[in-house]
Amino acid sequence: MLMRLWKKAVKMSTRERKMFIVFTLMYTVLIFWTSYSLELALKADAGAQGFGSTSFLIALGASIFLTLLYAWIIVARNRRTWATLKCIGYTNGNINSIILGHVFFTTLVGFIITIETLFHYMAIVGYLQAADPNVGYRVANLPIISLLPVIITVGVFTVVQFFGYFLASSKITKVRPMLALKRVGE
Amino acid sequence: MKRKMPVAKDTMIEVIDVNKEYRRAGAIIRALVDINLTIKSGDFVIIQGPTGCGKSTLLNVMSGLDLPDSGKIIFDGENIARATEDRLSKLRRQKVGFVFQDFNLIKTLTAIENIEALLWPTVLSSKEIENRAIAALRDVEMLERKDHFPVEMSGGEKQRVALARAIVSKPRVVFGDEVSGNLDPDSENVIMSLLKKINEEYETTMIVVTHRDSVAKFGNKIVKMDKGAIVSIK
Repeated sequence: MLMRLWKKAVKMSTRERKMFIVFTLMYTVLIFWTSYSLELALKADAGAQGFGSTSFLIALGASIFLTLLYAWIIVARNRRTWATLKCIGYTNGNINSIILGHVFFTTLVGFIITIETLFHYMAIVGYLQAADPNVGYRVANLPIISLLPVIITVGVFTVVQFFGYFLASSKITKVRPMLALKRVGE
Repeated sequence: MKRKMPVAKDTMIEVIDVNKEYRRAGAIIRALVDINLTIKSGDFVIIQGPTGCGKSTLLNVMSGLDLPDSGKIIFDGENIARATEDRLSKLRRQKVGFVFQDFNLIKTLTAIENIEALLWPTVLSSKEIENRAIAALRDVEMLERKDHFPVEMSGGEKQRVALARAIVSKPRVVFGDEVSGNLDPDSENVIMSLLKKINEEYETTMIVVTHRDSVAKFGNKIVKMDKGAIVSIK
């Protein structure tokens, strides 16, 4: 039953195309940014570490903000839908499962795109650095992102998603089923 | 835990001394005043009255969407007036169907998915859910539109899909809130005839709230309300 609700949540989120694409792309940028910052923070070079740590904290703050925003939008935009589902017998737990599916699927797709982007990024940077020893300073100093920062980023984003989930859960309990009976615009 | 109450065998809903008040802008509005009503299994009840007379509030408390301030609501032998939210959710899923004025179909789901959605949180297999949804769509003569999204349907068609969703779990009672409020007279006739057909074929109890006189002819019990009280039952 839970799997079925998650599968349907995936279907519903992909059909909200505009919002799905916008948030997936924003997650992609944030995940890439976080991995990049972590790579710098884990470097031996003190200067790079300082910049990387600051950048990581900003990325973390942005990802928490984005997750909360996404969860809030999912609940607020579809209040009538959640009220209708409550009317026809969905419990808060059932609706939370659907929201969990929404939030995690969007992040998962963001990860998949990030992994694909990282391959291209590393190929381009590796090629430029290897092809021309006199390549510009900026390109020469671009880090090749290793596996560890990516794994840490996956962990961080998974934890951050729960903030969004808890926000959505608390808002869902406040949606009264009677809202479904109200006329549009009332 | 179910609390079985001694009621006559064919009584579906019994409303006993129910009162309900709302507070709005500091004023107390008495939405339901000493309501007593018995609805038998298989009845087709029309609740009529002017705007603000309390008919929607009565529908809310009878269907377990809201709780009364005092009194009892005996639904199929169980007093739901003090039931928990989870118990009411389960009751609504198992025994109640809803048809709304604004259809309330989920725009990202097709017609058949909107109907199936009611059964997703159950232990039924996906195949069984699909079969039931197809049967419900056939009952409302909308099978050919099963893969269409709500945006691709007219108001009457949306309401037929909403009706199919209401009956897919084979509920004991279907509640309709101004079901024809957004429909033209022809579509209203189609929807009300379908409700009547389902009422007769499956002996599903129908309770329809409306302010339209044209709907009254479909019911076998007409409840008229005014200022939160029942003024006549015919």
